[in-house]
Amino acid sequence: MELQKFTYDNRLSRLFMNATIFWGLIGMVVGLTIALEMIFPHLSGGISWLSFGRLRPLHTNAVIFAFVGNGMFTGIYYSTPRLLKTPMFSEMLGKIHFWGWQLIIVAAAITLPLGITVGKEYAELEWPIDIAIALIWVVFGINLIMTMVKRRVKHIYVAIWFYIATFVTVAVLHIVNSISVPVSLLKSYPIYAGIQDALVQWWYGHNAVAFFLTTPYLGLMYYFLPKAANRPVYSYKLSIIHFWALIFLYIWAGPHHLLYSALPDWAQALGVVFSVMLIAPSWGGMINGLLTLRGAWDKVRESPVLKMFVVAITAYGMSTFEGPMLSLKSVNAISHFTDWTIAHVHIGALGWNGMLTFGMLYWLMPRLYNTKLYSIKMANAHFWLATTGMLFFAIPLYFAGFTQSLMWKEFTEEGYLQYPNFIETVVQILPMYYLRAFGGVLYLTGVVLMIINLIKTAKAGLFVVSEEDQAPALHTADGHGKEKGHRLVESKPILFTILVLIAILIGGIIEFVPMFMVKSNVPTIANVQPYTPLELQGRDIYLREGCYNCHSQMVRPFRSEVERYGDYTKAGETVYDHPFQFGSRRTGPDLARSGVKSGPMYKPDSWHYNHFLEPQKMVAQSIMPPYPWLIKNDLDISTTPRKIKVMQILGVPYPEGYADKANDDLKKQANKIAQGLRDGGIQVEDTKEVIALIAYIQRLGTDIYNTEGSKFSEK
Amino acid sequence: MTTDKDHIKKSDAEYEIDTLTNKKLLKDHEYDGIRELDNQLPSWWKWLFIITIVFSVVYLIRLWVFRADDLIQRKEFDKEMANAKANAPKVETIEIALLTDATSLANGKETWTKICAVCHLVDGGGLVGPNMTDNYWIHGNTIEDLFNVTTTGVIEKGMISYKDQFSVRQRLEVTSYILTELVGSTPAVAKEPQGELYE
Repeated sequence: MELQKFTYDNRLSRLFMNATIFWGLIGMVVGLTIALEMIFPHLSGGISWLSFGRLRPLHTNAVIFAFVGNGMFTGIYYSTPRLLKTPMFSEMLGKIHFWGWQLIIVAAAITLPLGITVGKEYAELEWPIDIAIALIWVVFGINLIMTMVKRRVKHIYVAIWFYIATFVTVAVLHIVNSISVPVSLLKSYPIYAGIQDALVQWWYGHNAVAFFLTTPYLGLMYYFLPKAANRPVYSYKLSIIHFWALIFLYIWAGPHHLLYSALPDWAQALGVVFSVMLIAPSWGGMINGLLTLRGAWDKVRESPVLKMFVVAITAYGMSTFEGPMLSLKSVNAISHFTDWTIAHVHIGALGWNGMLTFGMLYWLMPRLYNTKLYSIKMANAHFWLATTGMLFFAIPLYFAGFTQSLMWKEFTEEGYLQYPNFIETVVQILPMYYLRAFGGVLYLTGVVLMIINLIKTAKAGLFVVSEEDQAPALHTADGHGKEKGHRLVESKPILFTILVLIAILIGGIIEFVPMFMVKSNVPTIANVQPYTPLELQGRDIYLREGCYNCHSQMVRPFRSEVERYGDYTKAGETVYDHPFQFGSRRTGPDLARSGVKSGPMYKPDSWHYNHFLEPQKMVAQSIMPPYPWLIKNDLDISTTPRKIKVMQILGVPYPEGYADKANDDLKKQANKIAQGLRDGGIQVEDTKEVIALIAYIQRLGTDIYNTEGSKFSEK
Repeated sequence: MTTDKDHIKKSDAEYEIDTLTNKKLLKDHEYDGIRELDNQLPSWWKWLFIITIVFSVVYLIRLWVFRADDLIQRKEFDKEMANAKANAPKVETIEIALLTDATSLANGKETWTKICAVCHLVDGGGLVGPNMTDNYWIHGNTIEDLFNVTTTGVIEKGMISYKDQFSVRQRLEVTSYILTELVGSTPAVAKEPQGELYE
């Protein structure tokens, strides 16, 4: 057969590799910063864009989309042409993909600290950036699919299956979850509200873990592990079964983030069972990884690359066992809203994604520069720093999560909460936060060692711009139709892509359709009303400051929570919340009932004012940072009419024509609150942002007790 | 999908052997030098998968068909609350009178520091809440008066009711602490007097 010659261009891999290293460092430094802010709340120095609520989204976005994102593209652009024996379809599209993706990251790094956010976790970026992500993602997808079309290898390898699943599913998730109506260039409201928004968001959020952090990295594992170990993959059968089971089952599991919330029981149950069924398919990937090393364990001892792969795969196995356990309602009742979740995700991020990326970089850099790794010793040191750093990070947080949860739930013999003051449960676990930060320092030190090692490696060699290879042309007629079943599908990448799309659509559709169409899933509560214009503006400040990063708004139906916070949250109370604000971690107390005067969470306006100015003045041991700018800044009320109009578009029943008089009501309400504060001796003007935020907080959870009728003046 | 039987039928010439594990390598499965074995799925793995599927089916049937109480969170909650009510200790009947023993005052101080200090400061000087060290009182200065404030709260001023958070004894302890220890002491910063002067 005649061999055709072609070349692999290494430049895109190198670009993505450099970006991985750069953004990885940034993302982790920001992570360490916010870990320290939890110990030293004044570290942000009263500077808005350094505060925890704004930097935490930057940390998560940087690590997920910048570090892991560039990491996956590094591996995909390196392995895809080699697995398909053809250059990438278009170097130009590759460059657009690279620079577009970096611009998106830069846009995120600027907007998030400025408080420009949608207020949905891991989907914080505003609509223009969302559109850019969708476009760049399609560019990536076209390049991937067209490369498959012009391949010289008949069957596509399992790594490519996972790349396809990543492209298809992330596109669907991102687009569906990001649909919103713009208020201005940098502000929009999601079209979904409350519990429905929560379902869509966690369908997205959970599957961002599945299809951004897991499937592409399984693909990388299937390429770089056999390469580095020079061993055949353990089981082709297992690849097939665990691939299809994983992508089909994963998409259903989102509701496990909403256990014991106002989500209906049937939907929660789907979240539980599909998470439990994920254990075996996830472990299928682990087994296929670890057993590929059978017969080569002696190599593992010597190679830092393989050692890192082994820890990565083990961490993957651990967190994919823990995930289903956390999805059991009885376990979730303890773990949810605590640091347990933070520990869990960091086993995944630091262990699985981090270690796999590091291993890949140590393997790839010498090959791209046609040289040897500068120092095996340094790489080994990195391995130990990363492994111990991970343990120092996770173990204290497991302990913290468990301890705090038990304290929240403990009752005295007389039947009262043992720790009615939330801060006691925070002070108890503070030492664990020191250990966590120490773990972060170890891990980061390892990364710095790696960067030095990789730079020295690159300097010692010469960059191989392109590599030549040869293969016979692909004759689709090969095989003469004797292939059946999966082998046949592997030879038809477009069909394969369509089958993947079908597999990942089923779960979402079955969960969403009843949730949106069947009224009984969100029972109406008659006295729930839209927010007043001032409260709406205050809510947007709540989003801007990222309050949801530390405060939940979802009282679960437990005695301990009802006693501590007030009546549990009902689905019907959330129907005007675009977006929902349930939160996922209670670093501070739940705020769902903070406005209920007869409830245990109520604090007067003056308390809130002083608390925003200097939290420690009101709660001496508080770890909340101060928000002096809320007191200094004037509220921008020019946006009010447009915000009301957008809410009306989204179906929020403000009276017709209300947009134009909304600011009159806003001013009246602001005056009333400010006057009350002035009567109490606090010098404050009506126009400050803090007034709006107080108005919002005092509204929270009050509607079900409201007997006064409509808050909106009729025409 | 190729099954084992198919493999057995094929001649051995279709395979090469992986020398390290002595397993058969799949023919035509080579991607950039990566070969594939076709080992059997570990049986424990198959069983794990089957068990989780059975668990899931049973779980969903219990909820959707049998409406099992422990899977319906509304019922779970009602049960928890009913249990708490049934097991609640009998309300201690104690006379509302000033406590002076050291234990009670120490307990009172603990509650004060944890809860009341948030608004009244640890030394009682007052912050959002009034100064508790002077002799000016808004709602009276007897033990009954103070006790009633902890029971009903003064909602319009931001003082919530503590009757569901603290027992009668605990509320009596903390009000006794105020009257015996705080009143007459000198706080670091004293809030201006509020209410009427009681001699």
